[in-house]
Amino acid sequence: MQIKDIRKSFRSGETVEEVLKGVDITLHEGEVTALVGTSGSGKSTLLTIAAGLQSSSDGSVLFEGKDLTLMNQEEIRQIRASAFGFVFQSAHLVPFLTVEEQLSLMLDVAHSALSKKERKAATAQMIEQVGLTHRKNAYPASLSGGEKQRVAIARALVHQPKILFADEPTAALDSKRSHDIMKQIQTLTKQMGIAVLLVTHDEEMLQYADRVVEMRDGVVV
Amino acid sequence: MKLAWKEMTRNKTKFVILGSIIFLVSFLTFMISGLANGLSQDNASLIKDLPDGTFLMSEDAEETVTYSRIDPQIQEKVLSDYPEAVGLSIQMGFLKDNEEKQQSVAFVASTGASYFEEPAQGEVFLDESLAEDQSVGEELLHEQSDMNFTAAGFVKQTTYSHSPVAFISLEDYEKMFRAEEMQLLFVPGEETVQAAGLQSFSKANFLDLIPSYSAEQLSLNMIVWFLVVISGLLFAIFFYMMNVQKIKLYGILKGIGVKTSTLFRMMWMQMMAIALVSLALSALLSQGFTMIAPANLPFSLPVETTLLLSVVFLAVGFVGATLSGIQIKKVEPLQAIQQGEV
Repeated sequence: MQIKDIRKSFRSGETVEEVLKGVDITLHEGEVTALVGTSGSGKSTLLTIAAGLQSSSDGSVLFEGKDLTLMNQEEIRQIRASAFGFVFQSAHLVPFLTVEEQLSLMLDVAHSALSKKERKAATAQMIEQVGLTHRKNAYPASLSGGEKQRVAIARALVHQPKILFADEPTAALDSKRSHDIMKQIQTLTKQMGIAVLLVTHDEEMLQYADRVVEMRDGVVV
Repeated sequence: MKLAWKEMTRNKTKFVILGSIIFLVSFLTFMISGLANGLSQDNASLIKDLPDGTFLMSEDAEETVTYSRIDPQIQEKVLSDYPEAVGLSIQMGFLKDNEEKQQSVAFVASTGASYFEEPAQGEVFLDESLAEDQSVGEELLHEQSDMNFTAAGFVKQTTYSHSPVAFISLEDYEKMFRAEEMQLLFVPGEETVQAAGLQSFSKANFLDLIPSYSAEQLSLNMIVWFLVVISGLLFAIFFYMMNVQKIKLYGILKGIGVKTSTLFRMMWMQMMAIALVSLALSALLSQGFTMIAPANLPFSLPVETTLLLSVVFLAVGFVGATLSGIQIKKVEPLQAIQQGEV
């Protein structure tokens, strides 16, 4: 994915605030790119624009040769469903689905070409990879914070996306759990050749990144 | 579909509560509809049970049956133009039995057709509701004319203006009420019949001329439709509240790529499942009630009416749920993601 000269402005009454002032980043297969910067530097805004969750004021986001900024909502949704994975600060799990069902929902949404049997196998394998086989029939309400986040990672990767967008995935976890989660993200995305765009304010987590991009006042420094 | 079903099974209490409310409202609606229909049968089954057709009465009667007198020449012309047509007269009166018990009846005489009973002179066919006090062969007296009648038999629910019908011969009618002209002409068929000096009414319009019929039906039908609208509002409010609670979840699901139409289908499926189960239960119970209802209770709930009301319930529920679902369309994934845990 190539993020080219992305700009984003917000209008507040008479004043226009420019949050991103022309950012260029390229994401590579199997590489973890960490975006760091102070609060308000524009890193989360950049991630959500790259993920097609909000539009930019100018610039382009090229994914597999196509510009996301020129696509309609349905085209962007299709790409989000099939080629992107998301992990956020909160796990955002569906409260009435078990761990296993959370993953099969993602495969349904991604219109995975896998057969029913293959889907079951893929789901079981991913749950195993995040170490939650014994909790596969549990509902989110009975999971700990770390377990929930591991389910979120499994859900984000089960359909084998091309890019994983992770916005402060460890912000709500203690240090030990944060390292566990980051190790899992690093290992799994390397294994699967997935590009990762990670937003974090925790410097300890940067050890899991292949590349660190620092942002300040809407530009890469 | 799977999502909708999973949510329902995981949150049984919430959905059972809504289902119970819909069941109670629909059951009440079916019962009131049964009473409305029962009262309507009780009021005018003589007319209601006739096939569709045109009623003709004299123009100068000003839509009052008792004032209508049809010119014999016009009557003859209509009866010869339409062989299925029949002349008909209805007069309210009393019959007294051997025990001096007086019974209010609607005397009906006709020029003869398969639609009405045609007793011989001096005989009377009575509505079955009188079978409790009268028996076949019993002598009955019409005091005003001092004429005696023999009960020749009973007919299945035939009433007019809430009174049991007493079919008498045309000759007896003419003697009793000193009237040679008929009050009405009835021409079966879908075509509207017109005749000089006569006013035409469809069956439905003629029913409204019966005293109390339209007022009675209007109030009961208003209750029925009011309940139908309430059930639609219940669906709208319930799903609105559920959607408000799930707004973040919808945002997240949209964020990971779930289609808005899938979320709408999820809501519609839940609405249909609740409504179908509730309606099936209330339809079953109300139909069961028709079998055990006391004979003197005016209650009639045909299966067609139950089905029609059920379809209306489903349609109103669908509209209610869909209106409440507009929030789903509006929800922004980014907003939901930034708001924290679902």
